[in-house]
Amino acid sequence: MEAEDVAQEAFVRIWKQAPRWREGEAKFDTWLHRVALNLCYDRLRGQREEPVAELPDEADPAASPDVRIENEARDARIREALSALPARQREALVLNYYQELSNVDAAALMGITVDALESLLARARRNLRTQLAGIGPGEDKS
Amino acid sequence: MTPERFHTIVEAYGADPRRWPEQERADAQAWAAAHRAEADAVLAESAAIDAWLARDQVAPPARELQRRIVESAPVRRPSWFRQHVWWSGAAIAGVGLTGGLAGALAVSFFVLTGAASSMHEPSVHESSYLTTGFGGSPDDWSDE
Repeated sequence: MEAEDVAQEAFVRIWKQAPRWREGEAKFDTWLHRVALNLCYDRLRGQREEPVAELPDEADPAASPDVRIENEARDARIREALSALPARQREALVLNYYQELSNVDAAALMGITVDALESLLARARRNLRTQLAGIGPGEDKS
Repeated sequence: MTPERFHTIVEAYGADPRRWPEQERADAQAWAAAHRAEADAVLAESAAIDAWLARDQVAPPARELQRRIVESAPVRRPSWFRQHVWWSGAAIAGVGLTGGLAGALAVSFFVLTGAASSMHEPSVHESSYLTTGFGGSPDDWSDE
């Protein structure tokens, strides 16, 4: 899996940097996010095929087939909507929402102001709302 | 806290106050309490997107990945490293946590990233665009 290769490569960078790491000069998680982002984009630059991965089908014994299909369809829909966002909007959303970086850290990592980050986040959410209009997020019935 | 700022916060960070900027959280919550109807309308709209976003989750790193990462660690360590036994243990123990961080970020990007063409869309933040992953910033020691 490509994401796992990136995670492993990020650790190679950690091992290399460890002897020269000076505590207090940089935040480790911010540095690691920058490393991981660069590795991701290095790989994405080198590929031209559709990178939206298909998640493995994991059977949920607690859910009936129709409920499972419905849940999977909803999950696929949000994934498609996220993947359709412009890269910078997605980057802001991933760092701030999913990675739970503070607005200051996420903005610094992206090299933008907090105001610019908030603009990207708001536009990302508006885009998602437009794409997902008319479809409720529903509740995970599994 | 102005109405405009409250709207901006919710539109950017969502309806959950825990995700709001820490330094403005209390003021924003106080404003919401004082302007319940207006705040609820904004929050309800944003909560729907939050519910969608919460549906997309990344699985924790597999044990096999943790094993590969630990095995990729250099065998010969500098003297300062050996002298700090706690660091060695912390490094191994931290693999799961840090692997989760790096892995989740990578998975988010590879799973969420759309067609390659989206990578080349014009950005309104072109100057900053060059300072992150797209620009090959040297700040990550990636040349090593």
